[in-house]
Amino acid sequence: MVPGKHLARRTLLRGLGTALSLPLLDAMVPAFASAAKVKAASPCRMAFLYVPNGIVMNQWTPTKEPGVSALPRELPRISQALAPFRENVMMLTGLTHNTGRALGDGPGDHGRAGASYLTGVHPKKTYGKDIHVGISVDQVAAHALEGKTRFASLELGCEEGVQGGSCDNGYSCAYSNSISWRSESSPMPPEIRPRAVFERLFGSGDIERDPARRARLEKYEKSILDGVVSDAQQLQASLGGADKRKLDEYLFSIRDIEKRIANAERTNVQRKAPSMGAPPASIPADFSEHARIIFDLMTLAFQSDMTRIISGLLAIEQSPRSYAEIGIPEAHHGLTHHQGDTQKIEKVAQINCHHVKQFAYFLEKLKATPDGDGTLLDHCMITYGSGLSEGNTHDHSNLPMVLAGGGCGKLRPGRHVRYADETPMTNLYVALLDRMGVPVESMGDSNGKLGYLSDI
Amino acid sequence: MAVTRRYVCLLVLISTRCLPLRAEDVEFRAKVAPFLAKNCYSCHNPKLKTANLSFDSGVTPKDLVVWEKVLDRLSTGKMPPPGLPVPPKTEIAAVTHWIEGLLGPPGADPGRVTARRLNRAEYNNTVRDLLGVSLQPADEFPLDDSGYGFDNIGDVLSLSPMLMEKYINAARKLSSVAVFGEQYSPKATKLARFLVKKNQDDTASGPSVLPFSMRGALYGSFNFPVDAEYEFRMRLTNYRARGRGKPSTEEDNRKAYPPVEMIFKLDGEPIKTDVVEGNIDYRYTRAESTVRYRVRAGRHDLRASFPEFADLPDPRNNMNPDGRRQVYVEYLDIVGPYNPTADPPASYGRIFVCGHKRGGHNPECSRRVVENLARRAYRRPATPQEVDRLTGLVAMVQKDGESFEEGVRIAVQSVLVSPQFLFRVEHDGAGAYPVSNFELASRLSYFLWSSMPDDELMRAALREPGVLEGQIRRLLASPKSDALVENFASQWLNLRLLDRKRPDGAQFPTVDDELVDAMRRETTLFTEAVVREDRSILDFLDGRFTFVNGILARHYGIPAIKGEAFQRVDLDGDQRSGVMTQGSILTLSSYANRTSPVIRGKWVLENLLGTSLPPPPPDVAALQEANLGTEASLRQRLEQHRANATCAVCHNQMDPIGFGLENYDAAGAWRTHDGKFPIDSSGVLPDGTAVNGPKNLKEILRGRSDGFSRNFAEKLLTYALGRGLEPYDRAAVNQIVENAAAKDHRFSAYVMEIVNSKPFQMRRGEGGSNGSR
Repeated sequence: MVPGKHLARRTLLRGLGTALSLPLLDAMVPAFASAAKVKAASPCRMAFLYVPNGIVMNQWTPTKEPGVSALPRELPRISQALAPFRENVMMLTGLTHNTGRALGDGPGDHGRAGASYLTGVHPKKTYGKDIHVGISVDQVAAHALEGKTRFASLELGCEEGVQGGSCDNGYSCAYSNSISWRSESSPMPPEIRPRAVFERLFGSGDIERDPARRARLEKYEKSILDGVVSDAQQLQASLGGADKRKLDEYLFSIRDIEKRIANAERTNVQRKAPSMGAPPASIPADFSEHARIIFDLMTLAFQSDMTRIISGLLAIEQSPRSYAEIGIPEAHHGLTHHQGDTQKIEKVAQINCHHVKQFAYFLEKLKATPDGDGTLLDHCMITYGSGLSEGNTHDHSNLPMVLAGGGCGKLRPGRHVRYADETPMTNLYVALLDRMGVPVESMGDSNGKLGYLSDI
Repeated sequence: MAVTRRYVCLLVLISTRCLPLRAEDVEFRAKVAPFLAKNCYSCHNPKLKTANLSFDSGVTPKDLVVWEKVLDRLSTGKMPPPGLPVPPKTEIAAVTHWIEGLLGPPGADPGRVTARRLNRAEYNNTVRDLLGVSLQPADEFPLDDSGYGFDNIGDVLSLSPMLMEKYINAARKLSSVAVFGEQYSPKATKLARFLVKKNQDDTASGPSVLPFSMRGALYGSFNFPVDAEYEFRMRLTNYRARGRGKPSTEEDNRKAYPPVEMIFKLDGEPIKTDVVEGNIDYRYTRAESTVRYRVRAGRHDLRASFPEFADLPDPRNNMNPDGRRQVYVEYLDIVGPYNPTADPPASYGRIFVCGHKRGGHNPECSRRVVENLARRAYRRPATPQEVDRLTGLVAMVQKDGESFEEGVRIAVQSVLVSPQFLFRVEHDGAGAYPVSNFELASRLSYFLWSSMPDDELMRAALREPGVLEGQIRRLLASPKSDALVENFASQWLNLRLLDRKRPDGAQFPTVDDELVDAMRRETTLFTEAVVREDRSILDFLDGRFTFVNGILARHYGIPAIKGEAFQRVDLDGDQRSGVMTQGSILTLSSYANRTSPVIRGKWVLENLLGTSLPPPPPDVAALQEANLGTEASLRQRLEQHRANATCAVCHNQMDPIGFGLENYDAAGAWRTHDGKFPIDSSGVLPDGTAVNGPKNLKEILRGRSDGFSRNFAEKLLTYALGRGLEPYDRAAVNQIVENAAAKDHRFSAYVMEIVNSKPFQMRRGEGGSNGSR
């Protein structure tokens, strides 16, 4: 244990208000909406959190009650950390990701679990150039709400992706490295370095202070972007096929940034310093420390209305991460293939508990943050789950799912809902998009809109 | 196409209804179809679909991917499988000849490489060569996507808005550093604190957390902002052993625990020596060691260690019973800069090519500066419009009252976010045509250097006789060709997997990060030797030399090698020779706590022999390896597994190879026993050849080096082109392998042949043929 680390985190949580100098892009951007403004609007936010390799389900699911029931005070061991938030969360049982199953494609359940999780689309089995899955629910929302906030969405994580062609029996690593997909073939890889997230939100601090000079630099950067866009368009016109698509990606990305700058100018608001200092440059060793900083940053991003949509990949499918901090030196994925070994199951359960505890930290943080007429948690819809239920058997049905937050009054938390077996997980996404003000007919393999989220 | 409407029903036996009229189809009907019916159809029919292949009406002569596989299996004798009658050679030849005709002559279709975004390594190297800066901004970019085993595949590399944002930030920072130099506080400050991991299981990560060494060493690297003096402050720490009687006098203590020398090295050069002694209370005292030294800007290796510990018979001699090290370097602080140079940074001269002094530029200079910049950044002459736009930027900035330098900085920033810089785009033409001279120069330099071409290469008339060969030799001789090892070999051999592998601490108490890093270094040096000395690539199979330091030599049981420095040693091949028996490969193809003959066999088949193995079929239970206790039962379990015919197809290939390597434990050390069981390193290959131990296994592979050299050529060609190989590339690969074999399989021969091949020299325009003629 490095003593400096804890200190760093505490400083970080406490720290505020140091005179941060502003980065160039920032100066053009809304940054912090004023408190009054938040009160007026209190927009709804959504976050999708992912844990890999399944959860020990018989230590997760509340006692078998059919249909809808109040969430009991005593929850099973793994979900117990959520008990203090009983009134703020809903546990949903019986949802399935059929598109994560083999469907004739043989092994590769981990790759499929990650890829299908937010898309509801059966990924193409490949580790070459033709990766193909679907647009993820967060990106559907991000696209529809584009322009309302500085960042249409944020993709964050706590584990570096794996490089290499095939990660799971012929499925590209891209399928498990990202849960967010902007298009069928463009993953949105998560940022895992807290400092980089922070600088993305608030700037790196080494920037011009003189306002006149800063305005000039902004002008130059705009000229640069204008110039390269026309270069790219010209170039694109002379190209064919796949080359054209690559230039499309380039232009899309540049426009995304231009839009962000334009939004910033439109909604130019007095900027406040963030309520936390810059995190340390290195990635914390302990999972819990890392996850909590990431959750701090998520809270901050929501609070400041930098974005309303976040996906969080707490660890990637087949994660080999070991959790020495809770006395588990073995690799997570290896343990989940326990073949019934009770000692291994116990360790998996401990890891599951450890993950949920960090999630509870996030909920606590959101609940403690005032927002409009209530708390930030009241104005959030946060899912926490996995693309597998039992990791040992690669089960894609009856998936673990917690839905937290009040959804701006459009959710009725505090209940456990048991849905019919094989209800598509994507039905939940359709229902959430609806509440986000982004109605869609369907999403992936959905066959309806999930009920019992706000009604009885 | 003329015959499109007459769909082919392939197997004459099954259907002779609708055969097309072309020559290849006539021959097909006469020779190929009957052959398939007689020799293949009993397994590859619609009912059995063995290996997911059925020669029914679904397969047409257009399915080149299928035919290429058929060609491969027939020509290597893998099909028909052992036990079934072997068709006469003439019949096989007739079929393979037909398929070769189908696939076409070398380069009939040179293929089409998709615009390649610079990957992280290429970006760092390119800005280094373009601007002369030592920043490595791409270290902060998201991981590159990879395909076909490499991270430089144009089709696969994507560009997300997040990455674009990082490009923009990097351009801002790079332009500022290149023009004005790295910004640093005028007063010396603490620039970094490097801490070492406290123990082997510490999962700490991040750029300032350094690997764990049981011998107490601290090692890493740092990017120094400016030519200046820097102060290095090290803390040498110790723990007193618990529960032992302490010596009664200092002299006793000195005898029991003699002083230890600590040496601090910068890029291998010792710049500070200190001695750690004990006193009556402490076995060794704590100490600070401080040295100030002038360092050039850029990245340098740092190492503070106790060199004599490299020769400890057992590194645990430096460990206390409680798991802490007796003596170690706890941290290293870097403070500075002191007395920084007032000279402009090296990058300044590369950008301001007019030769004027800082601040004293005349107006005409602007055009020359941006023209030079754009030409090098875009790797081709800049168009007048491009130059106009950049000089326009410079003028705009100057009009605002900013300096000329600031104007140029904005131009640099603009160039660095241009698609012409971030992508390697090749012009589109019609049909198959040779790529331009500049495009060829770029293909060559990104292949051998993972970086932009230098001025000499850009100027070279590459299509004049002899010029290309001279340039290839020059590029290979440059230190920049280390990129081939770093980026090609490490991905080919999966060496990057070693970052995520650590042998189980309980079972391998003497294996620490330092030893694993030494294993990686061994393979790197070995590969560099093959490249630099232009050796035969068959050395990868059983080259009788390697590189070890004292630490690794002890792990291997190689006597008489001492110290921390790596030395070349000759090998007899009994226990070690070639990459297969290097610790790095043996470790990365094992589980943390035990060996896996399956993974090792698979590694050899896929990485060395290019045999792709299908994933296990869906309905077969995975081999329950995890619970295996002993070697004996592992063998038994695998034998049971192979009794299942479906499993046997692959496991008959993998397992005997893996068993041949059983003399190496999961951390790559030699062993004759696994627990109480003597090692049985024998097995039988699918064709009946008996394997007996690693030496014999290597002899067998060497005897069948065709598979290896073909696979090597395919991997190197994939990497060189930045695209996956297609069936139409087969003839080009054949030619590369054949010609390189005639040149004793020398490494440079493969490079030459690849660079001279049609797929490398040419490109198919959009709308060109797609393998069908």
